Amino acid sequence: MSIDNTNQQNIEQSEVQARQIAGLLDAHANRLSMRTLKQLENGRARAVKAHAQHLAGVNVNGDGTLGHMVSWASHHRLVVTGLVLATIISSFVVLQSFNSEPSDAFLLSADLPPEAFVDKGFEPSLNVQDNHMHKKT
Amino acid sequence: MASSQELSDFLRDVERRAFKQTVYAVRDEHVALDIVQDAMLKLAEKYADKPVTEYPMLFQRILQNTMKDFWRRQKVRNLWTTLLSSFGAGQDGEEDRDPLDSIDVGDESANPMVQLERSQTMKIIEKALEKLPARQREAFVLRYWEDMDVAETAEMMGCSQGSVKTHCSRALHTMAALLEKQGLGSKVIANLAVEL
Repeated sequence: MSIDNTNQQNIEQSEVQARQIAGLLDAHANRLSMRTLKQLENGRARAVKAHAQHLAGVNVNGDGTLGHMVSWASHHRLVVTGLVLATIISSFVVLQSFNSEPSDAFLLSADLPPEAFVDKGFEPSLNVQDNHMHKKT
Repeated sequence: MASSQELSDFLRDVERRAFKQTVYAVRDEHVALDIVQDAMLKLAEKYADKPVTEYPMLFQRILQNTMKDFWRRQKVRNLWTTLLSSFGAGQDGEEDRDPLDSIDVGDESANPMVQLERSQTMKIIEKALEKLPARQREAFVLRYWEDMDVAETAEMMGCSQGSVKTHCSRALHTMAALLEKQGLGSKVIANLAVEL
């Protein structure tokens, strides 16, 4: 019991000394050179300016909804980047699937001459021939 | 959401402490200034929508992370410097010292002897703090200087409350031993604290 009390007292004494040291450090921190104080003031002014610009530029719609969105986006850059990339890739895939025009590589590697693809009546006649072939078989 | 005036008041309140804490950690006043200014700007830009009550924790976290970034960069730079050159930096730091930097602002004591004695005592305390391992110093600063409780300190340091207590206890023992060695026992510290 007495050992516990002694330990407790030692801990309390150490804590008191720690706070005294912290107090001394705090008092000393208020005695900085003029140059350092000026530079800290400049840094603070820049931060306050950035803060004011942020508040003025973000709350476009008054109730801060856009502000929250921008703030969320700035805190989740990775997610936003992923979403943007996914949108670009899916748009590309969708556009490709709608694009039925034969590509250059297809035209050049096909057995038919390129002029055959320019002829507008060629493809329907090819389809008609194809249908006949199916019927016969 | 904090107003610009609230942010300004908050930064005015913490900037000197933050600067000194950073100096003890990085041991370079110019670098410390850059880190504190960077942390201020990050707080203003990234957490403009937060209430002012959350600023102390946020600012401390940003400050600690900015210091860690500095150490990471420093590590890489040192590696390259070691690889590319075997010559030391020499004593350039002493030559660059500006007399303006050693003038204290706000010391009302007119007696130069008292000023000198106090200044020397503070140097001993600062050296002792600088000699602490990084985690112990971080725990000491957050717990006793920033006056955070054990849970807040643990959250800030990303460790358990038990670890915080251990770091603090070790820091206190080391500090006490170092100060005692320099003739600054607990009574001297207590007297100095009363004087201030």
